[in-house]
Amino acid sequence: MTNTQNAAMKSGYAAKRKAANIVIYVILSVMVVIWLFPIVWLVMRSFSGDNMIAPKGFFPTEWTFDNYINLFAEWDADANAWVTPDVFPYGKWLLNTFIVAVCSAVISTLIILMISYAFSRLRFKTRKTFLNLGLILGMFPGFMSMAATYNIMEIFGLKQSLVGLVIVYSAGAGLGYQVSKGFFDTIPRSLDEAAKIDGATRNQIFWIIILPLSKPIIVYTALTTFLSPWADYIFVSYFMKDNVDNYTVAVGLYNMLEPNYIANYFTRFCAGAVLIAVPITILFVIMQRFYVAGVTGGAVKG
Amino acid sequence: MISKTKRALAITLTALMAASALAGCGSSSGGGGTQNSTPASTPAEGSAASQQGEVSVQDMNDPGVKQTIISAMEAEAEEAGEKDDDSGKPVIKMVVWCSGDDKTFEKTLVKEFEEEYASDKYVFKITVNGAYGEDKAGGKVIENPKEAADVFNMADDQLSQLVTAKAIAEVGSLFQGNVVANNTEDAVNVCSVNGTPYAFPKTSDNGYFMYYDKRIFKDDEVGCLDDMIKKAAENNKSVYLNITGPWYMTAFFFTAGCDITYDVTTDKQVAAFNTDAGLSAGKAICHIAESQGNGFEGSPGTVGDNAFVQQGFKEGTLAAAVIGTWMGPVIKEAIGAENVGAAKLPTVLMDGEQKQLDSFGGYKVVGVNPYSKYTVSAQTLAYYLTNESSQLKRYQERGLIPTNKKALEDDTVKNDPALKAIEAQMPYAHPQGTSVGGTYWAVKPETIGSNAYDKKGKLTDKEIQDILQNIVTQLEGS
Amino acid sequence: MNYLDYVQMTTGQRIAYRIKSFFTGIPGALAKLVKIIANFFVSVFGTIGRGFKNYGQRFVNGDAGTKLSYIIMGAGNLLHKQIGKGILFLASEVAYIFFMFGFGVRYISEIFCNGVVVDGVVVNGVIGNESPIYETDPLGLGKKMINRDTVDDSNQILLFFVLTVLVTIAFIAIYVTNTKSAYAVQQVAQSGKAPMGTIQELKMFLDERFHVTLMAIPVILLLIFTVLPIIFTIFVAFTNYDKNHQPPGNLYWWVGFSNFADVFYTNKMKSETFGKILLWTIIWAFFATFTNYILGIVLALMINKKGIKFKAFWRTMFVITAAVPQFVTLLVMRILLDDKGAINNMLGTNIPFLTDMSGVWPKITVILVNMWVGIPYTMLISSGLLMNIPEDLYESARIDGANAFQQFTKITFPYIFFVTTPYLITSFVGNINNFNVIYFLTAGGPNSDSYYQAGQTDLLVTWLYKLTVNSSDFNLAAVIGLLVFVICAAGSLITFNMSKASKNEEEFS
Repeated sequence: MTNTQNAAMKSGYAAKRKAANIVIYVILSVMVVIWLFPIVWLVMRSFSGDNMIAPKGFFPTEWTFDNYINLFAEWDADANAWVTPDVFPYGKWLLNTFIVAVCSAVISTLIILMISYAFSRLRFKTRKTFLNLGLILGMFPGFMSMAATYNIMEIFGLKQSLVGLVIVYSAGAGLGYQVSKGFFDTIPRSLDEAAKIDGATRNQIFWIIILPLSKPIIVYTALTTFLSPWADYIFVSYFMKDNVDNYTVAVGLYNMLEPNYIANYFTRFCAGAVLIAVPITILFVIMQRFYVAGVTGGAVKG
Repeated sequence: MISKTKRALAITLTALMAASALAGCGSSSGGGGTQNSTPASTPAEGSAASQQGEVSVQDMNDPGVKQTIISAMEAEAEEAGEKDDDSGKPVIKMVVWCSGDDKTFEKTLVKEFEEEYASDKYVFKITVNGAYGEDKAGGKVIENPKEAADVFNMADDQLSQLVTAKAIAEVGSLFQGNVVANNTEDAVNVCSVNGTPYAFPKTSDNGYFMYYDKRIFKDDEVGCLDDMIKKAAENNKSVYLNITGPWYMTAFFFTAGCDITYDVTTDKQVAAFNTDAGLSAGKAICHIAESQGNGFEGSPGTVGDNAFVQQGFKEGTLAAAVIGTWMGPVIKEAIGAENVGAAKLPTVLMDGEQKQLDSFGGYKVVGVNPYSKYTVSAQTLAYYLTNESSQLKRYQERGLIPTNKKALEDDTVKNDPALKAIEAQMPYAHPQGTSVGGTYWAVKPETIGSNAYDKKGKLTDKEIQDILQNIVTQLEGS
Repeated sequence: MNYLDYVQMTTGQRIAYRIKSFFTGIPGALAKLVKIIANFFVSVFGTIGRGFKNYGQRFVNGDAGTKLSYIIMGAGNLLHKQIGKGILFLASEVAYIFFMFGFGVRYISEIFCNGVVVDGVVVNGVIGNESPIYETDPLGLGKKMINRDTVDDSNQILLFFVLTVLVTIAFIAIYVTNTKSAYAVQQVAQSGKAPMGTIQELKMFLDERFHVTLMAIPVILLLIFTVLPIIFTIFVAFTNYDKNHQPPGNLYWWVGFSNFADVFYTNKMKSETFGKILLWTIIWAFFATFTNYILGIVLALMINKKGIKFKAFWRTMFVITAAVPQFVTLLVMRILLDDKGAINNMLGTNIPFLTDMSGVWPKITVILVNMWVGIPYTMLISSGLLMNIPEDLYESARIDGANAFQQFTKITFPYIFFVTTPYLITSFVGNINNFNVIYFLTAGGPNSDSYYQAGQTDLLVTWLYKLTVNSSDFNLAAVIGLLVFVICAAGSLITFNMSKASKNEEEFS
């Protein structure tokens, strides 16, 4: 093959590649538009003063910030003052969700790390049985036994309470050990052995040697457990029943779309949704590399 | 080894069961027990009728009667044993369930009640909760009566299931006389099961009629649905009747003369849709569905009736809508009160002739939870929430039509166009409580309407009959 | 077929082979599931059996202290000066006795009450026996319920029964440990050594027994909040707990297997509904999994292709949609795609995305929306993987003259497919249980007259939910829950079997 031929081929390749890239740019742009459309539409609605659910145009006919303000305070004409919304106290729900998310993230992460460390690094007689049991329990549909869970909480006097919610989330976390167990499996055992020779107990190995090496999986676990309460509608709506003060945002937002309310609350729903979506999205975008590391390090292990 | 283990386990369990069976299942009682607790206070002289079944009308404002009630409330507050942190007085702690949009208004009534029945021997702690509206309350009470609200608002068709589930208290005989005498006969009937009143009637407008835009239709042009659709189409607007909603769709089957009855005592639902009459109704639905998108609108989509009607009048796409009083204020706001007309439902084409469309006429009622610790207070509150003055205020504030005879005589109420429309529709309205029960809604009878809507009315007779047969089969199976 | 045959196949053949072995694996996996469950019980009974033998032997060989601890727990330890341990055992015995007499016995006794009168008919096997009783109306101010606090609630009785059984099992375990411990300390004493002190023993929980320390709290929480409710729900599947039997007003009772019979054949409508929903659940899971998977990888390839600029920008755009809480995006989609919704309004069309009664449009829509939801996730994950593929593989392929397409089919795809097989399995099972997409988008609709309490896009799980929430068919819901479990378990087993990973998976036996 001569040099000129080679160069011609190369430029041919280059042209082809360029054409291919242009096609890809077009496809990607179209896809981005499709993917972002609902989200941008939601944002637009949240700034709309017309409260329309199915507008013909994309942009609001009148712009306003009221939907956001009304989430936290409504103008009471009789009292001539701002009051907390009576039917949809969004601010309270936001705080509830935040508290539950933080507490359950801390406890769940601890529980998951403990249990996956035990399964991954320690060898004991009942290990296999417990692993199988964990697998079996994980296959029952989660909300199949909501009613019973509620009754159990009643025994402890924790029904319809935020503490109860945190406990239920944390208890359920015990089954989510697979990913972090996969991660622990990849840490070389020689580390443990060396430490053991130096006289460290298993307790010390866990805290001093393994945990510092597990930053990605800790962040991953904390992230996923922190995010799940924000999106859980089913269990909370069953668990909190008529205790409106202890609702989380997911239940509150869902209720705004009930037939009785949607006509007056739709744009407020949009504002509420944007308000929780923004911090979560930022958090997720920043943490995505941990997320990928978590998933690919564990579940996707070959 | 295994069998030995099993046997040992079995023996242990059997022994335990046998031993404890004596303690647990010894007596079998099925209710209807005798009274064995003495009331904490004795009735004041000359007050309430105390014999069951005997009904006399009491003047509830009479100081003696009021005093009887208050002292009974004092006794039960004492008995319940909860103390207020600040004053150390016994507490009457109750929860009221109502729909979220009524919450603010019901709160003002509750405040009035607290003043009316104040005593220095107890403190009220009454919470008004808007989580479970009239549509859900009954089911939620049955689900867990022990922790449900003490007083709850509901639609009348939930009553029988509540009675079957022993989750609603009879109206106390002191109140019975008032309830029976002061409310319309129909209202009293839907609140009773086997002649016993179980609920306090609140509003009479849980039914539907037609609102229309006077700028499009003259008052004599709202008689015939087909004509209205034509006129609306000319004006690029639509007439709205939700044929995909079970509540509205059933009107056609009433009109066709289908047997739709609900036996309150046996919880048995009959809906004879698999008949010639059913077919006629199905065909009539298909007939108007043909105009879908062309002067007629048959479905609200996922947003529901209220939002659809509100937006439709606001945007000017609707010229008339079959809906109830609760939308009155909203429609007035959208097109201006002077442009809002109300009329009975129009006629529809059925079996080749125009027939007046029937409807559901329902009531919203207030029930008392029998598991309440504060039976007397709950009964009194339920009564107060539904008495003449409360009903009148509810009309003024919320636009809801009273059931109280005197409140209905009030001038502002009497001249309400919505009330006139309801009265005109009255002969064609079927009481919800004795027509349908929870099972009826559960089997989703609206699928006939949804199919007609979806196919723009192009269903063959066979298809209609198949769908109707399926609905009946579901009913019989459940 | 052996491994050599397998490596010699082309990628297409491999995929075909895997798909084929998936379906041929179903009966085998079901058999294996039965075997695993059977093995589990056999091993449990085996352990108990051995336990009994050792239990007897310990008694025969035990000294006075050991023999005494067969009746008074902790006696052996106490006699050998293991005070802390002994007191703990004794305390647990006392606590258990109090628990049983103060609480447990009542619920065991009321779990199967005979001759209870329900609505004028005598029924056997009722859970509980005391119905509400009203007093007469002495003041005319409403009837009080006399037995408000003692009235029976079948739910509570059943739940506490399960609790009592679990506590009893736990107690038996402690009891056996107590006899073991007594015998062990006896042997230590006989050999002339000093028995271990409390401090020393506690220290073991940080080292040799560290697994106990780590797992105690999670396991207890799981037992109470997961295992107990599941067992309760399984029991409900054998009762007539439905809308006409809701305690405390109306107690429910045991009906054996009739709910299962209903779902499978006796009740035509229910069994047909089950069949149709099961079929759609599987179709849905298949499409939802593979569309997301393949298109997600394709998207990742496009973004990561050499020469494409602003990689981070493209990726972030898609990650944003993945980050917004799912229930928000799904509810927005429902509003947008309504047949009177914004999209139809903007386009001036009238497409019944979610309401088409034939079910075709809604089914396509849910799969498309699921792609919208899921593709960014797959993209994100496979982007990470693509970077792991050793560059020299491509290098040598290029030297061999392979074009871009060949590189994809020979290197990229096999690599990703191999690595992500377990992920594929979990997402398949996850899609069988994908409640959110269906419930928030269509709520199972459009409703159909030929389905019992369900619509055309309902999955088994959403049907289960509707049965509980809308129609109070708690018993039927429990049956469906059990069936979903069986399907998921079988599905995972099949796929675990076929994936190579399972061969190294030591915990799956």
